[in-house]
Amino acid sequence: MNWKHGFIGAALLCALLPFALPQYMLTIVVEALIFGLLAMSLDLMVGYCRLYSFGHAAAYGLGAYACGMLLKHFALPLPIGILLAVAITVVIAIPIAWICTRSTGVSFAMLTLAFAQLGYAMLYRFKEITGGSDGIDGIPRPPGPFNIAWFESKLGYYYLVLFCLLGSYLLCRAIVRSPFGTVLAAIRENEVKARSLGYNTRRYKLATVVLAYGFGALAGALYAPFAGFASPELFFWLTSGRVLIMVVVGGAGTLVGPILGGGAFLILENELSQLTDSWPLIFGTIFIAFVMFAPQGIWGLITGRFGRSAIAASAARTEEAPDAAA
Amino acid sequence: MPLLELDGLSRRFGALLAVDTVDLRVETGEIRAIIGPNGAGKSTLFNLITSVVKPTAGRVRFANEDITGLPVQEVAQKGIARTFQLCHLFPALSARENVRIAAQARDQGRWRFFGGDAVLRRSAEQADAALQRLGLERHADALAGTLGHGDQRLLEVAMALAQRPRLLLLDEPTQGLSVKETDHTVDILKSMLADRDLSMILVEHDMEVVFRLADFVTVLHRGRVLADGPPAVVKESAQVRSAYLGEFA
Repeated sequence: MNWKHGFIGAALLCALLPFALPQYMLTIVVEALIFGLLAMSLDLMVGYCRLYSFGHAAAYGLGAYACGMLLKHFALPLPIGILLAVAITVVIAIPIAWICTRSTGVSFAMLTLAFAQLGYAMLYRFKEITGGSDGIDGIPRPPGPFNIAWFESKLGYYYLVLFCLLGSYLLCRAIVRSPFGTVLAAIRENEVKARSLGYNTRRYKLATVVLAYGFGALAGALYAPFAGFASPELFFWLTSGRVLIMVVVGGAGTLVGPILGGGAFLILENELSQLTDSWPLIFGTIFIAFVMFAPQGIWGLITGRFGRSAIAASAARTEEAPDAAA
Repeated sequence: MPLLELDGLSRRFGALLAVDTVDLRVETGEIRAIIGPNGAGKSTLFNLITSVVKPTAGRVRFANEDITGLPVQEVAQKGIARTFQLCHLFPALSARENVRIAAQARDQGRWRFFGGDAVLRRSAEQADAALQRLGLERHADALAGTLGHGDQRLLEVAMALAQRPRLLLLDEPTQGLSVKETDHTVDILKSMLADRDLSMILVEHDMEVVFRLADFVTVLHRGRVLADGPPAVVKESAQVRSAYLGEFA
């Protein structure tokens, strides 16, 4: 069985899933797919380029707010609104990525966090446009071009989200295996060497951040019309933290893992929060357990690639970190 | 016209003048060894040529072009490849992928997101050729980080070779190798030069290696060029002897 069989099998399974689930579960499954997409977008940075972003909520929030405003104030068809929101976020992401990639490691993480919090603060500062703490509500799902209206129903929307997730996965998979993508692995492994071979590593990292923002914005743009509202918490650092946890638990550097991690996280959160108020405690325990005992994540456990995920490999490497300019 | 030309190159680190007005010319096809005691400024000289550190004064000219202060990656794109004193590899990638990445660096298609299969195939072929050249083909699928020290050194040379350089800078290629491995490496380096339009500068402590490989030897001492000439001449120089014995001030 090669990956194509696996992909088609998973796609069919997902396509049939709504018929096996009670109606009320569909909402949470749609959100799980959206969060899976968000986690996968962050994996481009974390898993392939070792760019730890603590501010991926910015991509999600930007996509959601841009899409919400476009749909609410302009009579755009839904797919056009979503694509425009992604395009707007990508344009905004370019200067952000330019600034963030000037630094590395912890300062990179702090800069990404700073930009997300800046977005959060701006929502309150420009209340008239953003709705402040109320956010934007009443986001419609206008019918698409040629009067395609099937995504107005919840089931239809599920397929729209599924289509976007599978399409994004195929795109990301092609990207990480392209000449461009293979350089990301080299940068992750040893940036000094990659540069001395002749790669402009800063530009590769910049492009990666912009790509991750683009796919993250797609997740946000899918979320806003589905929920019908966009609230400031989308921009909040807790959202960034959750996504990062999903990537690590799912298995960084695998694309599939974070999708599973994102989905599992959301469904588990939903179930646990009905049982107990201290569900974050359980989550914390699961997270710690994964970091300590299974750094290769869920997908690593499934495929049996022990110790081979990006994070595990990087952990094993810290002791032999070479000295550049010695 | 020399391939590489250093003109009054200096680099100061605080109070230390690590490289002090060095003039050096390397012709096409030449192998030059740079020797000198620890702290003589050999590695700093490499870092100056490859723009890892910028000179405080002086110029670097390569192939009739001023490359002083260019970004590191652009110096590499001009055709200067180097290995590091401490091996620099991509440890969690296979040996083949290490070399393929190096070959791809000089490919116009290195930026392609999609439809880059031809680029990947081309660079993989070049990688296999370079691996074969260094006798590493049986390790092609092993992770670079799991190779023995000697093979890691050879792998880094294979990567440099895959960059199709005009000038190759080797920082102590035989450091830490056994006598047998050293012989093997010297043979390979010699064969690389035999049929190639390639110049080489090597920093080396092993005098036997220097005398077997080099056409010219430059002796550095406290950042200055102390002696310069064919190996036999330099060997006899009283100045050099005293520098190594620590009497020269």
